[in-house]
Amino acid sequence: MKVPMKWLKEYVDINMSAEEYAGKMVMTGTAVEGVEKTGTQFDKVVVGYVVSCVDHPNSDHLHICMVDVGEGEPIQIVCGAPNVHAGMRVAAALDGAHLPGGKIKKGKMRGEVSMGMLCSGPELDVPAGLYPHIGDAGIIEIFEDVKPGTDVKEVFGLGDDIIDFEILANRPDCLSVWGLARESSAVLEEHFVMPEIAVEETGKGTFDDYAKVEVHDETLCPRYCARVITDVKIGPSPMWMRKYLYGAGIRPINNIVDITNFVMLETGHPMHAFDLSKVKDQTIVVRRAKPGEHLTTLDGKEHVLDETMLVIADRENATGLAGIMGGEESEIVDDTASVLFECAAFERANNRVTARKLGIRTESSGRFEKGVCPATAMEALERACMLVNILECGKVVPGCCDNYPNPKPPVEIEASVRRICRRIGVDVPGEAMEDILNRLYIDTTVAGDALHCEIPAFRQDMESEADVSEEVLRMYGYDHIPSTLMNATTMAGQHDAKSVFNYRVKDALVSMGLYEILNYSFVSPRWLDKLGLAGDDPRRNVVKLRNPLGEDTSVMRTTLVPSMLNTVAANLNRGIPEGRLFELSKVFVPAEKPGELPTEKSALCISACGEYVDFYTMKNIVVWLLAKFGVTAAISADGDGYYHPGRKAVMTVDGEKLATLGEIHPDVAEAFDINRRVYVAEVDLDMLMPLEKDFYGVKPLPKFPAVSRDIAVVVDERIGVGTMVDAIRAAAGKLLEDAKLFDIYRGEKLGSERKSVAFAITLRAADRTLTDEEINAVMEKVLKALNTQFGAELRA
Amino acid sequence: MEKMLREIRERVMRNIEEAEASGSLEQIRVAALGKKGELTALLRGMGKLPPEERPKMGQMVNEVRAALESRLEERAKALAEREKAARLAAETIDVTLPGPDRSAGSLHPMNIALRKMVEVFVGMGYQVVEGPEVEFDHYNFELLNIPKNHPARDAQDTFYVDDNIVLRTHTSPVQARIMTTRKPPIRVICPGRVYRADEADATHSPVFHQMEGLVIDENITMGDLKGTLDEFARQMFGEGIRTRFRPSFFPFTEPSAEVDLTCANCRGEGCRMCKGTGWIEVLGAGMVNPKVLEMCGIDSTKYSGFAFGMGVERMTLLKYNIPNLRYLYENDLRFLTQYR
Repeated sequence: MKVPMKWLKEYVDINMSAEEYAGKMVMTGTAVEGVEKTGTQFDKVVVGYVVSCVDHPNSDHLHICMVDVGEGEPIQIVCGAPNVHAGMRVAAALDGAHLPGGKIKKGKMRGEVSMGMLCSGPELDVPAGLYPHIGDAGIIEIFEDVKPGTDVKEVFGLGDDIIDFEILANRPDCLSVWGLARESSAVLEEHFVMPEIAVEETGKGTFDDYAKVEVHDETLCPRYCARVITDVKIGPSPMWMRKYLYGAGIRPINNIVDITNFVMLETGHPMHAFDLSKVKDQTIVVRRAKPGEHLTTLDGKEHVLDETMLVIADRENATGLAGIMGGEESEIVDDTASVLFECAAFERANNRVTARKLGIRTESSGRFEKGVCPATAMEALERACMLVNILECGKVVPGCCDNYPNPKPPVEIEASVRRICRRIGVDVPGEAMEDILNRLYIDTTVAGDALHCEIPAFRQDMESEADVSEEVLRMYGYDHIPSTLMNATTMAGQHDAKSVFNYRVKDALVSMGLYEILNYSFVSPRWLDKLGLAGDDPRRNVVKLRNPLGEDTSVMRTTLVPSMLNTVAANLNRGIPEGRLFELSKVFVPAEKPGELPTEKSALCISACGEYVDFYTMKNIVVWLLAKFGVTAAISADGDGYYHPGRKAVMTVDGEKLATLGEIHPDVAEAFDINRRVYVAEVDLDMLMPLEKDFYGVKPLPKFPAVSRDIAVVVDERIGVGTMVDAIRAAAGKLLEDAKLFDIYRGEKLGSERKSVAFAITLRAADRTLTDEEINAVMEKVLKALNTQFGAELRA
Repeated sequence: MEKMLREIRERVMRNIEEAEASGSLEQIRVAALGKKGELTALLRGMGKLPPEERPKMGQMVNEVRAALESRLEERAKALAEREKAARLAAETIDVTLPGPDRSAGSLHPMNIALRKMVEVFVGMGYQVVEGPEVEFDHYNFELLNIPKNHPARDAQDTFYVDDNIVLRTHTSPVQARIMTTRKPPIRVICPGRVYRADEADATHSPVFHQMEGLVIDENITMGDLKGTLDEFARQMFGEGIRTRFRPSFFPFTEPSAEVDLTCANCRGEGCRMCKGTGWIEVLGAGMVNPKVLEMCGIDSTKYSGFAFGMGVERMTLLKYNIPNLRYLYENDLRFLTQYR
């Protein structure tokens, strides 16, 4: 909320700079977003009185004016504005004045001396609306009877500090000048002086002669106050009111509307003014809308309502949304002659729901949904009537409507000094607490340990001792909080098993030279199309956001691959040709039953591309990662369609898929704007974690020598070498220590589609040196197995 | 014969001196001292000498033999040294050449900072717990004293899945889950991803990370909260970094505080980073609202506690002097490779 400092000073003494004041407010809990000085855009511009104005002899549009600028003799200023005339008050920039457009210097214009310049609104960069006609063509005319020589900033209410308070949700009472002045008075230990409210009722008859109010829903409208003003004269409000409104960020409109806005800012109570002659039967009904009822609001928009919404209506039709926006019909216009002022309290949650449903947010609705205090509504209405008296813009009719059937009883809190001190960790004496709370208008008495607090109506946030403790501490000073160590149960710090596992996965990948990346958890459903997933692919079943920021972030991820491919593409676009990346994050599987939370699964995605990268680079990464957890997986040529059909593999443990890896299919790469080979692996971490074998100890080191034999066999090109190794392992039995591929040879002599594969086979027994017979027997078994399973022949 | 012996000795000695390779030395040795060598032949020929001359002659031959052998050995050693030196010299490589392509790899800076944060609190006796990212409204808001249609919900623009399920807007729902399932004493931290409907800019991201802390025990005070955060600040950012508490409002804590840290850039002197204040706002904290304790089934007359929540990205930006939050989610390798 923006508040001009001068407005606050009307009610509380603030004898310090705006910055110092803001600092004190911040340290006691009233946040300040910033302080803005107004009127810094110009200087040396004063009110001038045009004594005489004649045409310039050498120009068809210039005038020579003698202007009284409060310096004794009038000075001569040449002016080209069409509206300049004798007897007018103007804004005169003197010699040496700085304006937004540059410096003003005395000089000659077509032979005539000019000692300054008469200014228009744009020349001073004074916003239209601050002052009547300021936006019109020509120079500013000042209507107030101000002495020549007065700084125009005073006239325009410039040169003030506007403090932008950020009022938190628990203190709606501070969404008002009075509330802030009251809070400031407690902080600064100064008096808060509210104007004495007295209304002079000069209108004829009484309220009931002019209007009738019926409240049909007292839950949604706990209080409704109204007053009638007759003999209304619509016109501009005075400068003092306009400058405060303007400083607070509200555009002045006319005296009646300005009064409602002024009172809203001053007291925190949104008000509404009806043109009483346009209210049918002069009856105001506060009721719930009928289902499907139509209403056109002030902004010209038509809404369809439902029965949860509270409306202001005449006998037949809704005319306004209660506390949100009025209707077009009863709007205040230039010839409005009688006015009904409404100052009511509407239930905040209902107000909020209605405003959200209809997509309307107004200053008024914003205040009602934060909580407007019913108890002070009448006071605000009286203030408005008092302003009518002051502005002399109408006659207040005696009597009023005040529908307030269930006033909330005052809240009383019994608190303990000792418990408060224990909670805040600061020893504040009971008397100091009493003093602080009384300063905050919380009527408090202390007796030993007992604090008795009577909470004023406007402090709707205060409910318990904990709330009292905060009031005490913030005013006593948060800087008194000591820095202590807990005198509490000793507890063992511990990581959870899952994050320890994740740390190990990440550390393993980092040690292999990979970089961790972070992507959003929500993606575009179109990215699944780019992967070419089938319509019935389970990954198409996604958790959808109801209110996403955009389509690209509208569904929760079921796979990390699309985000990874986007990252790869982005880095290639940046001109970085190499990259090995991984992301460890959650994927989300919708619950089967509606209303339940989705399953969050831990997933890992790895990518690699660059000159030295091929399928086997990626395979090694995955194999080594699994090896870190003591897991070996069977590998077979298989995998999703977004991989290259001849370069993809699935790794399984006991038939369950643990990982998929491969080169991304060129069509998919193209869809993601990737113009080179990129390799990706996906690992199911939820499956990997429980597969880890506990490490019980080491095998004893060998005592007997190993024997190594090499064999080379010729097989069909399509036979997988890995499967051959598996077959060798199975055939060789326990004596096998290792079987390693050491060469693959293809040549004309072997015939086409044939390859020679050479293995080094190491055999060893733990308890003896192997004999030739034993070795030969094993090798025969191996050859036989290779022959029967793969048609392998010993290479000649 | 003596003359022959002298002649052999001189010639072989000369040959040894002239030999330039270990191989030729061996030839010289065989030619002179081998089974068929000159000296061996001379020794064999001694039979022709008169017996009284034989011992003298034998001694002379052996002396020559010993002298040649020792000289050969010396020379061989010298040549071997020379050859080794030559080989090593030939093996000299350009050590300034870069090694084969292999990147260092690193964690994401956000996770480097988060790990450090977690370590500090585990060291202080906290247990790490996690909770779901897609969460019931009940835990995310209601148990934290933020009922439906409460204006405090405005402060956290929420992504909804349906009426009762949201993307958690903070890690505080994990607090609520812990309080409803565990008995005090409780001392936990809950790191994790959170979501707010904010467009990405230099200081906002719709996805970010928080770390929540919760302590419930007997006699916990706001001073203990300050002591804990002071210790965290010191371990995370170094000696001389302190906290400053400012009053604030969170529905689930009372009293509540915004906590500032001494600006690590200027050590509190005031600089551009801290807008001249010497302080940087980093986290929210407070004493757990007794209403929240009661809603979660904990006796608020016996137990009290504090809670804090910090933005991990914010800590990362401060710790590594990163100018823009967007850097963390752009995954630009030129950025990521700086953290090795």
